[in-house]
Amino acid sequence: MNGGETQVAHGDVLVRFVDAVLGDDQAELVAARHAVREAVGPAAFVDTCATVASFNAVVKLADGSGVPLEDEKAERTASLRSEFGLDAWHKA
Amino acid sequence: MFIEADGLSLPIRPALAEQIDEAWRRLARPGTWWNGAERVAIAAEVRRAPTCDLCRRRKEALSPYTVDGAHDTDGVLAPEAVEAIHRLKTDAGRITGKWVRSIADSPLGEERYVEIISLSAIVTAIDTFDRAMGLPLRALPEPVPGEPSRVRPAGAVRDIAWVTTLAPDKVAPGEINPFAVHGEKNIHRTVSLVPQEVFNFFDLDVELYLHDHEIRDFSIEPRAINHAQIELIAARASAINGCFY
Repeated sequence: MNGGETQVAHGDVLVRFVDAVLGDDQAELVAARHAVREAVGPAAFVDTCATVASFNAVVKLADGSGVPLEDEKAERTASLRSEFGLDAWHKA
Repeated sequence: MFIEADGLSLPIRPALAEQIDEAWRRLARPGTWWNGAERVAIAAEVRRAPTCDLCRRRKEALSPYTVDGAHDTDGVLAPEAVEAIHRLKTDAGRITGKWVRSIADSPLGEERYVEIISLSAIVTAIDTFDRAMGLPLRALPEPVPGEPSRVRPAGAVRDIAWVTTLAPDKVAPGEINPFAVHGEKNIHRTVSLVPQEVFNFFDLDVELYLHDHEIRDFSIEPRAINHAQIELIAARASAINGCFY
């Protein structure tokens, strides 16, 4: 996923921030945090942090339990998963 | 409501702030299979895992199952619990059914393992939020005395997942219904062997992310970022974690 090519408002800044939060480079995190706050504003920044937190956590439930994707979700996302090669991750 | 972070006073939804604080306090209360002190010890181990040398070597290896050794730990919890906590924290994307069964069949037991899954997720969520915000790691709460409830749902079976789960239509009369508030998707079934943990995690998560009915209602934008931005963040975080679901 190339954050620079997203059509989502401030997508590149958001992707950079997610990478920084989940990465190990503290200086990059500080810079990315400043960039996203400037781009989206304070309330949106807090909700961005909350969303990153949610998805860094909920993956533990899925991966730790081995619960499968629902059949109807799998059907709806089949072409998308194929296009991005996501089926290679299929464990949970 | 405002939260002080990184030298700034930032607006935060009251429900989000309240659920984060409540989830943190709840860590220290007796759970279903672990008491308060044990739950806090689990939280401490979640925080210790990223600097564990064994976990680092396993993460770097082509397969984590080829690397043996001992985890860096303070020795409070049994080895099987430490193994579960460290793996969930540092390399959850490569957990296998075989490994889960080995943990479930160990002296740890499946119920305690499932409660560990939830606790690991909750601590990860709150620590990630604080890190993202530029806040320091919050102090672990003081354990609250009391015994675990040891409630196991009668209708739980091992069918769709590597762990035993409770299906929404198998909740027995008089038993706690973990699907009553947040939904009946497979993600809600993940820790349903320990029904209280479904509430414990999703009471927090619906404020971090979205309530179930909000996820696909594109007529409303309940957050200061829109649906597209939320899902971009979600997809990126999931991709980094290698999570298919």
